[in-house]
Amino acid sequence: MARDRNADYDFRTPVRRILIGVTGVVLLAVFLVWRIDSPRVERFRTAFVDRVVPSFDWALVPVTKLADMMSGFESYASLYDQNQELRRELQRMKAWKEAAVQLEQQNAKLLAQNQVRLDPKLTSVSGVVLADSGSPFRQSVLLNVGSRDGIVDGWATTDGLGIVGRISGVGERTARVILLTDASSRIPVTIQPSGQKAMLVGDNTASPPIEYLETPELVRPGDRVVSSGDGGVFPAGLLVGEVKADSEKRLRVRLSADYERLNFLRVLRSHPAEEIGEAGGLVLPAFPPIAPAVTLPENAAPTIVEQGDG
Amino acid sequence: MVDPATASRIRHRALFAALAALILFLRVLPLTAVPTRWPAPDLILCLTFAWLLRRSDYLPAFLVVIVFAVDDLLSMRPPGLWTLLALLATEFLRSREMLLRDLPFALEWAVFAAVVMVMTVANRFVLALFMVPQGGFDLTILEVLSTLAAYPVVVFANVWLLGLQRRTGGIADGLGGRG
Repeated sequence: MARDRNADYDFRTPVRRILIGVTGVVLLAVFLVWRIDSPRVERFRTAFVDRVVPSFDWALVPVTKLADMMSGFESYASLYDQNQELRRELQRMKAWKEAAVQLEQQNAKLLAQNQVRLDPKLTSVSGVVLADSGSPFRQSVLLNVGSRDGIVDGWATTDGLGIVGRISGVGERTARVILLTDASSRIPVTIQPSGQKAMLVGDNTASPPIEYLETPELVRPGDRVVSSGDGGVFPAGLLVGEVKADSEKRLRVRLSADYERLNFLRVLRSHPAEEIGEAGGLVLPAFPPIAPAVTLPENAAPTIVEQGDG
Repeated sequence: MVDPATASRIRHRALFAALAALILFLRVLPLTAVPTRWPAPDLILCLTFAWLLRRSDYLPAFLVVIVFAVDDLLSMRPPGLWTLLALLATEFLRSREMLLRDLPFALEWAVFAAVVMVMTVANRFVLALFMVPQGGFDLTILEVLSTLAAYPVVVFANVWLLGLQRRTGGIADGLGGRG
């Protein structure tokens, strides 16, 4: 195949310019399509990530394990102390496990007495973290469960210790979790002892601030923050973290979930809370008065005019 | 296959694609989910310009577009905009290759810094124009600074480990330089 060598290195051929121009216009069009019809492009992005990233999980998992091992090597010197500490913690956990089992049995007995049916809304799907978001501006992780495992957009995700984030973007085999620390994450929360409702707004730092709090004086550092279930966004009562005050006296939340070691996550199945749309039958419509079935003879004098059979 | 020049070109293009894939892979690793205080440098950008300012024939425009498009999709950026800016920047530098060819490294670094800053400002400007919510300006500045700091490392790694030298450009160059 004879080629004119010089044409290859002559970067100013008009054909090349035209192709570059067309490519530039196509890229601009992609950006405009994204701006106009973002869900469609985001679905494409989700499908692309769904296709590309899991095919690397044979390499992602061992490299992550290697990185964990290497960071474990740094504390090699205190291995014995760590071992002791872990044994102590294991003992404590065993004691808690016993207490939990007993409480569970007691709870089952009491519920059976009340014949109350528990809403199975907190069943969950477990997934493993596949990949990070890869960007300093977006805090999100990729899970290896997707629409074929029944994951739906908007479900809460927890790591056992506290809420981690929300599902936003579901592919067939993967799903993206937007973490609570991401700048676009807002969830309604309740601050526990005072019962106030507020919003937890992420701002790309490790401790997101609380906004729209009515009476900040009633909130002290150390208060529990749980999800409030407002607007059907999240199931209510899930632990988010505890309040802390930063150096500027602004209220932030120290998240209970362990963001440094996100590995196994549980996606909580929840369906939007039912909304009551009508007023119900309290205000009765204007029916005609109902006649009594029997009229006693001594009371036959018509004090009230009634239709119907006497 | 064909003559060694073409084979070398194809090999180097595949090498560039493999290096870019490796960088994306490392960036996507789920090592920690805590937001970092100091953003990681944009190594794809450093790699692209390190290769462009040395052997631009190993870096055709379509390869730049593909690599940056995949980068956009994987890192949750608005798709297409950063790729377009990268394409414009690489074409701008490619057309001025004669001037940039024999610069000392410090000037090359300055050129890279200028290009990266223009790209970043244009990116933020267009996103603000289209009212797309974006991260804070301080994070962007930190990312630009860490990218600039990482550029010499990337360049020296490419030059020493991969042997990516500038084309000497002369009739004696067996690879058919411009002579």
